Amino acid sequence: MTSPRVRPPANAGSDPISGSALGHQPEALQAFLRLYGTLWSHGIVDQPTKEMARIRNARTVDCVVCKNTRFAGAREQGLTEGIVDKIRDGFEASDLTPRQKAVLRWTDVFLSPEPEPDEELRSEMLRHFKPAELVELTAAISIFMGFSKIAVSLGGMPESLPLRIEKTPDWPA
Amino acid sequence: MSWLPDQAPGSNPLERVYGLRPNLFEAWRDFALLFWEKRLLDPVLLELVRLRVAQMHQAAFPLSSRRPEARAAGLDESKIGELDQWWRSPSFSETERACLRFAEQFVLDAKGMTDEQALPVVQALGEPGTVALVEALAIFDGFGRFCRMLEIEPEEA
Repeated sequence: MTSPRVRPPANAGSDPISGSALGHQPEALQAFLRLYGTLWSHGIVDQPTKEMARIRNARTVDCVVCKNTRFAGAREQGLTEGIVDKIRDGFEASDLTPRQKAVLRWTDVFLSPEPEPDEELRSEMLRHFKPAELVELTAAISIFMGFSKIAVSLGGMPESLPLRIEKTPDWPA
Repeated sequence: MSWLPDQAPGSNPLERVYGLRPNLFEAWRDFALLFWEKRLLDPVLLELVRLRVAQMHQAAFPLSSRRPEARAAGLDESKIGELDQWWRSPSFSETERACLRFAEQFVLDAKGMTDEQALPVVQALGEPGTVALVEALAIFDGFGRFCRMLEIEPEEA
């Protein structure tokens, strides 16, 4: 494990998010949790699609916590570990569906140094998604990327973790 | 103008695109504005890293705006004009330099962040300030990419 650059506040609980260093900014944390809950539980894009983009991002940014987290809703809607195993470099040659491959291509372009999709990818995405869904998916990737970059840049990340199934985020109480 | 075939009602290109998902847009905006409204960081520092991240993404929409809080706090266009070569300019303080260096590494390869890059930021801003900075960077980095992906650009005058 790398040493953490910012430690959780003294009164932080055991929750993996609110008990982390993010607890130093409680108002921002609440606003983030509301955003995350809106994305996951009050959206229009199916949860397996967002989960695939989240895991692709996690593996690209190399966030151990994000890589080893699964949200229950996506599993319940059919995202198996067999599918998750294919969210790797070389996915183009896999038997993922054209829609799933398009989501991974879209995520990869978003995370690249030149985040600008070409005409072919734009057209492909519009074959699979309505414009409002595409806005949600793109916003989702921006949130996944941001959250995972926060986690890795603050340090203290373990080398590995067991797989952990988490309740799908919803609005904070 | 965005290549998306649908548009939401709105007074600017961002509202017309992100507004296609109104509840998500509202939640995102509430989060993003908090850093300015609650002054979680010095507004000049926040504006400098916001614009530097937008420069790195060549994201015209965020580059075209200025936060009034930063202007009111004394940030002028001459300093912004030096931002793309901040490391050569004497106009930037040690704290600003540390945060700009951190911001660039965050965008390029957050996993590659070193203690040499991070610790000066923690020393200058403290732990709460550092958390505010990384959260703000997450917003700015994601937003620049979001604008490029969906071709959200400033309207011509």
